[in-house]
Amino acid sequence: MTLFLHTYQFFTQHPGTIWRHTLQQLYLVAIPLAAAILVAVPLTMLATRVRQLYGPVMGFANAMQTIPSLALLALMIAIGLGIGVLPAVLALFLYALMPIVRNTYVGIMGVDPGVKDAARGMGVTSWQLLWMVELPLALHVIIAGIRSALVATIGFATLASLIGAGGLGSLIMEGMGLASNSIVLAGTIPAIVLAFLAEGLMGRVERVLTPRGLRA
Amino acid sequence: MTDGDTASSVATADAILEFRGVTKSFGGRAPAVRHFTLSVPRGQLVVLIGPSGCGKTTTLRMVNRLIEPTAGSIWLEGRDYKSYNPVDLRRRLGYVIQRIGLLPHLTIGDNIAFVLRLLGQPPQARRARASELLELVGLDPAEYLDRYPTELSGGQQQRIGVLRALAHDPDIILMDEPFGALDPLMREQLQEEFKRLLRTVSKTIVFVTHDMDEALSMADVIVLMKDGAIVQVAPPEEMLRHPADEFVASFMGRHRVLRQASEVLVADIMIASPVMTTTASGLARSLELMRRRRVNSLLVHDPAGHYVGVVRQSELQDHIEAGDQSPVGSLVDQTVETLAPSDSGLTAMHQLLSHEHVDSVPVLDADDRIVGLVTRGTLVGLLGDALRVAAGVQDIQLPEADSAPVGEVAR
Repeated sequence: MTLFLHTYQFFTQHPGTIWRHTLQQLYLVAIPLAAAILVAVPLTMLATRVRQLYGPVMGFANAMQTIPSLALLALMIAIGLGIGVLPAVLALFLYALMPIVRNTYVGIMGVDPGVKDAARGMGVTSWQLLWMVELPLALHVIIAGIRSALVATIGFATLASLIGAGGLGSLIMEGMGLASNSIVLAGTIPAIVLAFLAEGLMGRVERVLTPRGLRA
Repeated sequence: MTDGDTASSVATADAILEFRGVTKSFGGRAPAVRHFTLSVPRGQLVVLIGPSGCGKTTTLRMVNRLIEPTAGSIWLEGRDYKSYNPVDLRRRLGYVIQRIGLLPHLTIGDNIAFVLRLLGQPPQARRARASELLELVGLDPAEYLDRYPTELSGGQQQRIGVLRALAHDPDIILMDEPFGALDPLMREQLQEEFKRLLRTVSKTIVFVTHDMDEALSMADVIVLMKDGAIVQVAPPEEMLRHPADEFVASFMGRHRVLRQASEVLVADIMIASPVMTTTASGLARSLELMRRRRVNSLLVHDPAGHYVGVVRQSELQDHIEAGDQSPVGSLVDQTVETLAPSDSGLTAMHQLLSHEHVDSVPVLDADDRIVGLVTRGTLVGLLGDALRVAAGVQDIQLPEADSAPVGEVAR
């Protein structure tokens, strides 16, 4: 009971601190994720055209996600990027690639061959095939990939404080250092809330972007 | 109608589409299409037919350059196909495929007008055209324009698939087994509807199918292919009467002209997969099988596959009602006469017609295994084919009793 009280007190006494860390956390998620989308989606789209590209692209993305997250962060220091926001953002970016690459590929390749054949036969250019047929039909699958990348990134981002990138993770670390559970919770609760909000929001986006004709 | 020697004819004045020595090889394998030469006159419906792998679809797909020929050329409206940009060429043609391929994220209206959108027509014009076409096949635009493909049945979807190919009013329409995925009833309905549609819009059509019924019902000219080459080009009537060789004759199958009933063998007319059961099968199960396959008798064989006899529905029912638990083997009528595949059709006819209570005769091979069944329906079908040929028109719609998979179908 006292833990709840202390936590509540911490929230009311240091709203600025919590807000600042939450904002940092948001940046730590949004920037790498946006970069991952901007890189992974077009690259994978290219890979659906130039098949030889898919192996290396997916292999790389897969490797990045297979490396334990902590090791990936440490690796950033090891390759000379030092500590701070930049190496953390880079690590998070690499980590977010895989689900987006996978879903973009699966989404586009999964478009009914009959639909593609009909579209080609009606005279779409290869760009039109992508824009008017494949992307709209694959979009909800791609969004689902972004959704899992987002949730993973939010989780991973709390670790980024380990290499000095700030965020809610630093509140948690601080709390652990001071053996203060209330500070730990001050970092943990917003992190959890963020994760759920993001998950819920992306679920909505996914539904909205599913073409009406494909909804069950 | 074109002559039987169309295949060898050179440029005809009214030919809208011409294949000149077209060959297509994929990799190192035998060519999928070999020296295909054909001239398609404007306004005709040409059916490419043949066993699977004969190159008919490859031939079709070379017209709109989804596949490029290895050698030879294709002329469309007097121009070499290579002088068209592939994308522009496809927008000039209509294309209907078996898998339908409606765009699931677009409404019916947008699907119908898809090529118009590619051609840059404004939305209002596209919608108006889509409405017009829906009305043409008796679908209410108010109800259908804004619906999505998944909300429609397979038959309706393919109607839309056909309308889509008409939207930009192309002169030539390519159809690759357009009705192949539909159930027989729906297929026939769409064939009729499409023929009716063709009377209002004059189109040249290249139509691929493997269904001879469909070819006979739709075609102005049938092009029969085998191993990538043309075997015979002829109007349906002529192909029925004068098949070029044994292959054509056998491919025409039961449709071909029957010169004398004595030439027909039981093997030619029998139902090849009659409904069977084993002696050990339970009564209720057997009855259920009859109900499901809509027959009133079953052929019974022993566990080793040898014919034992026939069991009839009425008897089964009586015994089930009496609470009989014995297997079907105990009720078999073993007195029914049988035929061999090599017996003549006349023998079959004699057996069926001379005994009032016999309405089907099992066909057994030398080992007493069941290979088929001849029913009264089979004979009626045979007669129907003969009449159809005699009448000289393939359009007479005779009930095709012998096309049912089983005998004695309750119609």
